[in-house]
Amino acid sequence: MSQNRRDFLKTIAAIGASGTALSAVTPKKLKAGPTNILSDERMGVLVDTTVCIGCRKCEWACQGAHDIEQKDFDTYQHDDTFNKDRRPSAQNLTVVNKYFEDDNPITAKLQCMHCDHPACVSACIVGAFSKQENGSVIWDTDKCIGCRYCMVACPFQVPSFEYDKALNPKITKCDFCFDRTKEGKLPACVEICPVEALTYGKREDLILEARKRIKNNPEKYHNHIFGEHEVGGTAWLYLGPKDFTTDNVFPKLGNNTAPGVSESIQHGLFAYFVPPVAVYALLGGIMWLSKDRDSKKENK
Amino acid sequence: MRLFKLAVLISFIFSFQLFAQIENLKTHSQMNLDCKKCHICDTPTKANPCLVLCPRNKIESVRHSPEEGPDNIVLNEIKSEKDLYQPVHFTHKLHAEMSLMAGGCSTCHHFNPPGKIVKCITCHNTERSRADISVPDLKAAYHRQCMGCHKTWEEKTECESCHALNTTKKSKLVSKPSMENVHPKITIPTKIVYETNTEEGKLVTYFHNDHTSLFGLECTDCHTQESCANCHNQKPNFVSSKANEDEHARCSSCHDTENNCSKCHKNELTKPFDHFAKTGFALTGFHATNDCSNCHKVKNKFTGLKKDCIYCHKNDDGLFDHQITGVKLDETHSEFECTDCHAKNNYLAKPSCADCHDDYSFPNEVPGEKVK
Amino acid sequence: MNHHKPTPINKKFFTPGTIALSLIALTGITFLMGRFLFGLGAVTNLNDQFPWGIWIGLDVAAGVALAAGGFTTAALGHIMHRDKYETIIRPALLTAMLGYTFVALSVSVDIGRWYYIWHPLIMWNGNSALFEVGICVMLYVSVLYIEFLPIVTERFMGKVNLPGILSKLNGVIDKLLRALDRGLDKTMFVFIIAGVVLSCLHQSSLGTLMIIAGPKMHPLWQTPILPLLFLLSAISVGFPMVIAESLSASRSFGLKPETEVLSSLSRFIAPLLGIYLLGKLGDIVIRETFVYLTEFNSISILFGIEIIVGVVVPLRMFLSADVRKSPTGLFIASMLVIFGVLMNRFNNFVTAYNPPYAIEAYFPSVGEIFVTLGFVAIEILLYRLFVIIFPVISIPVSKAYANTKYAIRGVLK
Repeated sequence: MSQNRRDFLKTIAAIGASGTALSAVTPKKLKAGPTNILSDERMGVLVDTTVCIGCRKCEWACQGAHDIEQKDFDTYQHDDTFNKDRRPSAQNLTVVNKYFEDDNPITAKLQCMHCDHPACVSACIVGAFSKQENGSVIWDTDKCIGCRYCMVACPFQVPSFEYDKALNPKITKCDFCFDRTKEGKLPACVEICPVEALTYGKREDLILEARKRIKNNPEKYHNHIFGEHEVGGTAWLYLGPKDFTTDNVFPKLGNNTAPGVSESIQHGLFAYFVPPVAVYALLGGIMWLSKDRDSKKENK
Repeated sequence: MRLFKLAVLISFIFSFQLFAQIENLKTHSQMNLDCKKCHICDTPTKANPCLVLCPRNKIESVRHSPEEGPDNIVLNEIKSEKDLYQPVHFTHKLHAEMSLMAGGCSTCHHFNPPGKIVKCITCHNTERSRADISVPDLKAAYHRQCMGCHKTWEEKTECESCHALNTTKKSKLVSKPSMENVHPKITIPTKIVYETNTEEGKLVTYFHNDHTSLFGLECTDCHTQESCANCHNQKPNFVSSKANEDEHARCSSCHDTENNCSKCHKNELTKPFDHFAKTGFALTGFHATNDCSNCHKVKNKFTGLKKDCIYCHKNDDGLFDHQITGVKLDETHSEFECTDCHAKNNYLAKPSCADCHDDYSFPNEVPGEKVK
Repeated sequence: MNHHKPTPINKKFFTPGTIALSLIALTGITFLMGRFLFGLGAVTNLNDQFPWGIWIGLDVAAGVALAAGGFTTAALGHIMHRDKYETIIRPALLTAMLGYTFVALSVSVDIGRWYYIWHPLIMWNGNSALFEVGICVMLYVSVLYIEFLPIVTERFMGKVNLPGILSKLNGVIDKLLRALDRGLDKTMFVFIIAGVVLSCLHQSSLGTLMIIAGPKMHPLWQTPILPLLFLLSAISVGFPMVIAESLSASRSFGLKPETEVLSSLSRFIAPLLGIYLLGKLGDIVIRETFVYLTEFNSISILFGIEIIVGVVVPLRMFLSADVRKSPTGLFIASMLVIFGVLMNRFNNFVTAYNPPYAIEAYFPSVGEIFVTLGFVAIEILLYRLFVIIFPVISIPVSKAYANTKYAIRGVLK
């Protein structure tokens, strides 16, 4: 009933061979994964919160561009909206909040930051997220299984989930108006902003422009471009009169990319399937050896 | 007739040349200006003028009275597929008048090389999608200019306060604002009493009229950071968060605010500055409206002057300059002693001519000529 | 020494205990229906700030860890050929199989689009730790089912007796079972090794999961060696889980506790726990995160409980021979280790997770708690059902009768 040793060796060899074959084939496939392009030509938006007047037209335009129900046009100008800090959701992919109310009030528009090294793209179990050549971080809602790992991963806590839906709940977030920019149009929020608090341009140009503004008005700006280096850089960059992290406009974040550590561990554990195959072979060896010892014992 | 035609032709050509010369004059590169004030690079070209970024308040070439500008302007240069709002009818004259209380024309016309008034659209692109992002587009330029004051003043961002909605036929606005609503004249206070939080000397009485009329200060000497919101703020911030030094900043350029607090901080209201009480020299007549600095030439030094008229009013011969009184003495009278006419050195009393003349009396007869 | 043989336990299924468990299970199922009819928001306290709650932190993460008995005993019994532990392999296998089945169920319940749970099979993202966990768990569940198959064939071979017209199929089914049995016999070792490898992979990748949350996670738990700590803790909770479960089963069925096997098994626990504790303490010393322990708050208390009650105390207990020999001592010490790992997973996924814009902290809703309890209850009920139907638990038999194959077939002998 039990196997003989030759059989065992054969099977081990076969597994080893198939493992090697697998490791020869898979790297390309693994690397293919979701699209994750970091183009030099990538676009971004410079948000100058010192200019923003808090009219919330961007919210209205965003809803229009994404077929989300818009509220009564007049209600966007109600000041009491600012009484509480809101977060992006399925109904508002972008929100404007008021900060530093005590001495230097600003209004700031919040939405997905479109990271250069997005945690969501790295985390998504089905690779639904992708970083596109123009800088947009978008996602394929048909792939999504609703696991919400992107929300756990996102350093800015941006993706939102439709918890109230029993069927086909969606992950929602700003898509940088990918459909509009494809056609050469501006993102809806950038287009409507009356004061151009949102400047659309190549990310590297925006950084130069932001530096210029700080240099020309050192008393107006806190000397830091938020998003230039945070989590390895984001497409959306922010200028303001103060350090944004002091009023939790943004959390305190380092300059390391969000998925960096996780991905290097992940790739270390799976370096072309060598470690798993090695463990397999090792365990097979132990099994074979201890079997040998047992049979000797039995023979005695 | 032919001669006349020739004359017309010649004058026509000449006038053209004259025009051309004026045009030439307008080429600002030939003017006595510092290039680096506007251009960053050494050789600016028309394609790349390399202008300094938003040269706010650097070039004050535009100085007009509000009446010289247009009354109302319709701002309708920006058009898009579906305009949400109707164009703004901008009351230029009203705003120009208001700007006099702050920075003048350059509050808005922040960049204007010598010559014509440059329209906003000259520098500010109507297209938001554009190559040069360093200059805001026209829509942004307009809104930033307006909202800068309107937001701090009203703390509201209601678009309808300037624009009429495109959907509603009836506009809430008077689409052609009348010129009646000119900013009311600002009244200048005579005195302001500041209640401070110090224990000793709670009250500081500030005589505003003395500072403006006597001490020769311009409004902007003290009112440096004025804006509409300072008066029109709906939520005035009464609790001052400024440090002690800041409260004194406006005074300290003339007054020593470091020492001798009790000079200004008193327990009761103080009386206005009285030159007679302090010095024994009454400021009457012409002296009553004289700027301090007319006599006290050295800034902040108010001692050392003598009461004798001749101490200040001396002519080239070392004698009293009688012209200052409004009467230039003729040669005969300038030989006399003062007391010959002004009995007992009383210069306020009517001078007497009776010692020499019969039936003469000042001011019917004048010992020279009136100069004022 | 008595000879043992896995035998279906001849006991009633319904007892006051199982009825109570059934009630809990029913409550859980009721809440689950609410989740499927009205969405996750209707039943859970989850929101955009706290996307994961106890269904992931306990049902999945702790569930996977506590099912580690399956691969640790397989490694000990089959790979290292410590034959005396064979009596505990089948119960451990059954626990692992049920455990992983409910992990998969919990995941399906927690994800918004449960009907797309198969997506990771064809949509790959090699960078995602979750993808790795998902694939490994799917493969491992299959492996566990395959490992359990011989128990099914053993139970029914020669005993296929379908009623009425179906009785004509009896012969065919019997032949099928025998063919399956023979096939599995030859290849089972492949699956056993695969099971251990897959377990090591996803137990550690489960630790990698929260690393990407970066600064959102409290520094006491956020460390790049999380995968190692997860693997070490999983390995050290494997045997305590087997011990606790064996002792409770013996008690529940009125059998004599297998104290001898269990106490010799418990010798491995102290060294394993020791290594885990070293890793854990080394981590907080090297990264100097112990400074957070000087603050006296819920975070430091929970960390303290996890380490002291869950690791240090049981470690000390397992070092004592007296404890190892007494069923009560073994049970308490094992339960403490289980509690420690449970705490650790809960802390990693819930306590440590502190999102930037949270208005109020997450606390599981009644619905979440009852679904979790319901799953545990169903698991226990199924365990009872399985050991009544299938030959899982070994009971003493006469020597001649006992000389049949043990454990899973196909292992080299």
